[in-house]
Amino acid sequence: MPITFLQQSLLWGLFALSIPIIIHLLNRKRFRTIQWAAMDFLLKATRESRGKKKLKYILILTARALAIAALIFAIARPLAGGFLSWGGAQIDTVILILDRSPSMEQIDDNENISKRLTAIKSVQSSLKSLNNPKLILIDSASATAQSIPSPDALNELSATLATDTKASIPTLISIAIDYITDNALGRTEIWLASDLQKSNWSPDDGRWDAARAGLVDLPQKTTLRIISMASAITDNVATRILSATRLENELSLEIEIIRSDTNTTASIPITYSINGSRSSETVNFDGQNYQYRKNLSLGDKQGEGYGYITTPTDANPRDNVSFFAYGDDLPAKTYLISEDGESKAWLSLASAPPGLNHNECITLSPPLADQINWAQATLIIWQAALPTGSVAKQIIDYLEDGGALLIFPPNGESETSFMGIQWQDLRTSARGQYFVIDDWNRSDGPLRNGNEGVGIPASKLKALKRRVIDGELTTLATWDDDQPFLTRKIVGDGTIIFATSLPNYAWSNLADADVLLPVIQRMIRLGDLRFSSAFSAIAGSSSTQLTDGEIRSRIDQYLDSKSSNAPYEAGVWRLGDRLVATNRPASEDEWLVLDQNSLNVLLEGTQFSLFEETKGSESLVKEIWKVLLITMLVFLITEAMLCLQPKAGDPKLKT
Amino acid sequence: MKYDFLDSEALARLGAMPLEARQAMTGSVAGRHRSPHRGSSVEFAEYRKYVQGDDTRRLDWKAYARSDRYYIKEFEADTNLRAYFVIDASASMGFSAADEPRIQFARKLAATLSYLIINQGDAAGLSICQEKIHLEIPPTRKAAQLNNILDVLAKTKPTGETGLVEALHTIAEKTNQRALVIIMSDLFCDTDKLTDALQHLRYRKHDVAVFHLLDKQEVDFDFERPHRFIDMEDQTSVVAEPALIADDYRNAMQHFLNEVKTACHNVRADYHLITTNQSYEKIICDFLSMRLPKKGRK
Repeated sequence: MPITFLQQSLLWGLFALSIPIIIHLLNRKRFRTIQWAAMDFLLKATRESRGKKKLKYILILTARALAIAALIFAIARPLAGGFLSWGGAQIDTVILILDRSPSMEQIDDNENISKRLTAIKSVQSSLKSLNNPKLILIDSASATAQSIPSPDALNELSATLATDTKASIPTLISIAIDYITDNALGRTEIWLASDLQKSNWSPDDGRWDAARAGLVDLPQKTTLRIISMASAITDNVATRILSATRLENELSLEIEIIRSDTNTTASIPITYSINGSRSSETVNFDGQNYQYRKNLSLGDKQGEGYGYITTPTDANPRDNVSFFAYGDDLPAKTYLISEDGESKAWLSLASAPPGLNHNECITLSPPLADQINWAQATLIIWQAALPTGSVAKQIIDYLEDGGALLIFPPNGESETSFMGIQWQDLRTSARGQYFVIDDWNRSDGPLRNGNEGVGIPASKLKALKRRVIDGELTTLATWDDDQPFLTRKIVGDGTIIFATSLPNYAWSNLADADVLLPVIQRMIRLGDLRFSSAFSAIAGSSSTQLTDGEIRSRIDQYLDSKSSNAPYEAGVWRLGDRLVATNRPASEDEWLVLDQNSLNVLLEGTQFSLFEETKGSESLVKEIWKVLLITMLVFLITEAMLCLQPKAGDPKLKT
Repeated sequence: MKYDFLDSEALARLGAMPLEARQAMTGSVAGRHRSPHRGSSVEFAEYRKYVQGDDTRRLDWKAYARSDRYYIKEFEADTNLRAYFVIDASASMGFSAADEPRIQFARKLAATLSYLIINQGDAAGLSICQEKIHLEIPPTRKAAQLNNILDVLAKTKPTGETGLVEALHTIAEKTNQRALVIIMSDLFCDTDKLTDALQHLRYRKHDVAVFHLLDKQEVDFDFERPHRFIDMEDQTSVVAEPALIADDYRNAMQHFLNEVKTACHNVRADYHLITTNQSYEKIICDFLSMRLPKKGRK
């Protein structure tokens, strides 16, 4: 265990170790002379006392010297704890990088306060032990450096409060490096307080190369000390709203529950709050994750609304809530661009089937595609030659904005190209045989299993004809000859799905609705997110920032916010005319942490040390002068016991 | 008083206490001490059968009347005591750490006892023993003997090595009549040889009393710092750290004391271990008290 000293100059006092030895040698020189009669006994005693007596005397001298050493070490104010290496006490500036992500709000079992507060407490105590060097704070939410007048001020700053924002550790380290480079700070150390959550550290992030190089290239030797708060996460349940979609007078919430303990069946009470009305239910599930859909009635309420769902307080209260907001009831408009024929009818029917009054399908012929109301389009189904020109550009803009596009092959040959993708030859199955779906992605894409685990009967699909598609696409379902049936391309926030056959009796039985209906309805749901997403944002992201003339005010009643910390907190906000529900990023609910080996790889070549959080530890460094004083006392007692002569009784009494 | 080792007040206090011999003495004149011979004292000793030649005046006619047999009635004989003071005058007797020199303490004891002995009509003699000199004043009952003894005591200077063992053998050889031999020494000599000498005295039926004189510092060995110790008899020296050797020194001293005590007990000598910080008057008082005959005896 490395030990450092606050008063290293006092260690010169170790030369005092020689005092007892010098006194001993002087005493040996300064003897008295005495005439003695009982010389025989004296000579005999002198002969017998050599050896064991000398050893005893050496032990006495050693105990005296060690007692002095312990005293010197004690007044030199030694620090222990492994956080600082030799000389670590001579620090001019400490740059504290504080992870304020929601995962840092997990309650520390020992301290009964959050990991963030525990880290702050440890840092305060350590800085006091180090005679309060200059302190610079870089918090993960604002990612800016600010000078802190004293460690005690850390408790009062909004820059140290809890947030619902992500922490980008490589970015924060780079900011610290830039600050050191731009300012003359003297001997500086970077202290990084984090729970080592993998999603925050982003070990695959390209910015790590720059951060590593920056640490190595700093003009003065700078040590990165990581205050790890990476204790195991237990007894925690996180809740998250994946989507909030308004369907006429109902709000459909897609909810995910994540828990840390998986050994038993979870029975978790969920409270739904919408526009001030509350309801609750208990959700039971096995495993770590559970997704379900909850429809909440809006009654007669028109226009915008908001709410949140909560789970009971647990190890991390910060991830027990998820907020949502929604806008006016807008119909799901599907624009079907199709050539005439059987396919057009089936596609139109699957887009707006009877009974789903919320859905509306507007059919346009390919030349009229520019009449699409892009702002209102939930889904665009394109069954024609691939778009080109201005329409293609408008479609790309629509996709970038989060739109959904479902493309079917044209009836005839087509040589047009869209985003590098082209339809190729028409393939026909052998006489008396069909192309059948052999494999499809059951967890992702339009053919994924339902929430209850029920699969789409895609294997019922049989095709006589199909077209081969050419381009860089992700395959979601394949025919039995390994050629793709469904493929996907992501463009901006939008999604394109290509189907390689048509709902036409001459092509396939896609019109039987076993496959077509769920695919189109899921695509409509996907496209609908474009509208609901305007009401949701990640806490701290650019869309939560105020624009000119906007004023921020919190309108949910879940918590109060300090105005300076409001941009980084989850909640339902009125930003000028906008209504936005902000939540923590999904990555905060991934509780994987970096291990020591990963850390070694990530910071290879840099000078860093890892300080693990220990039970009951208030400070990263501890003054151990009390221990040394006790040690000195032990040595003095030892010396006294060795010096104590068993007092020989008066010989006369023994005669 | 002329002699600094003689205290008249102490003599006055001790004057009433007689010095008794613990065994029969063979003196030259009648005295207060038992004799091994039958004599004319008033104390009945025993009856024995009349043999031819006995003085008929000593026949016990009353016994003859009762038993029709002739018995001679014998009485104890009382005689005087002859005391020899054997004083070790080797250099080690000059040792003093905190108290007065050992030789001075011996002078006080010898002078006071001599006064008491001569004063009660017994004979006192003195033997000063050193390595090469063995000065001896034969015991007599004359009043002038006390001055002789005191003069010699006053002039005695501790020097050289001890001649105690040789002196004791000489006294044992030369003194035919039973005597009380009072030895005053530190006994720093070969213990086996000392034992032989004491047994020699005992063989010659002398009553032996040993005053073993030691300084308290010699017993306790209580020093604070290193010392150079110089032998008072042969001037050899040794530098020692008292803290280191004190235990072993004390053990050696204790062993020596045990040996001396055992040797004295074996010869039924009257042994007194004395440290020179004690009161000599009390020591003499105890010595005289212990020698008083038990109740029932004279």
